[in-house]
Amino acid sequence: MTRRRSRVVILLFASAREALGRRTLDWPVSPDGVRADALVRALARTYPRLGLALRASRFVHNGEYLHDLSTPIRPGDEFAVHPPYGGG
Amino acid sequence: MSVRLTDRTLSVAGAMRALEGPGLGGVVVFAGRVRPDRGRAGRVFALDYETHRAPALRRLAAIERDARARFGAGRVVLWHRVGRLKVGEVSVVVGAACAHRAAAFDAARFLIDELKASVPIWKTERARPVRRPRRRPGRARARSTG
Repeated sequence: MTRRRSRVVILLFASAREALGRRTLDWPVSPDGVRADALVRALARTYPRLGLALRASRFVHNGEYLHDLSTPIRPGDEFAVHPPYGGG
Repeated sequence: MSVRLTDRTLSVAGAMRALEGPGLGGVVVFAGRVRPDRGRAGRVFALDYETHRAPALRRLAAIERDARARFGAGRVVLWHRVGRLKVGEVSVVVGAACAHRAAAFDAARFLIDELKASVPIWKTERARPVRRPRRRPGRARARSTG
């Protein structure tokens, strides 16, 4: 529980999942959290293979579409990477 | 309300039943099947569908509300399979029941277009390399001298 409180759970789908070969990441953040745009930049720096998917993706914060990338992402939050959709 | 994300077989007959209602004389159902496309990796034998379930269900419900408001649809079906589907299996069924056919066609078109563009569902192709048939040496020589 303590571990989850200090981390953000990153959910990866489709090309983002394939780029890293995993569905989730536990991402450490400070108790004050991190801005969404800074989080995305940090992900791209740490995982260059994820860069292409991140550039094309929408982001979902605790189940809601993120329209403002200055939104703070806090410990315990869920942050999903949604590459372009392809249902049907 | 009929939105569904399921790993079970989708039934067009079931969709028709879900679209029954008083005064709904125009019913349009669209079903999408997995195609055996040929790509760089070979011939597709299956598609793996995945979804982010909670946002997907909310988006499907919003599309249903829009279809009712814009086209006067009395009943709407928005069903999608998830998991591995083999070639020929039905991956999606959408349908709209309205008073008349024109609105039903428009609504069904709206449903599938919005679903594909805005619902967090993804597919990954599973393909096998395609083997080319070997030429028989005798026939190859005959062609080269003609």
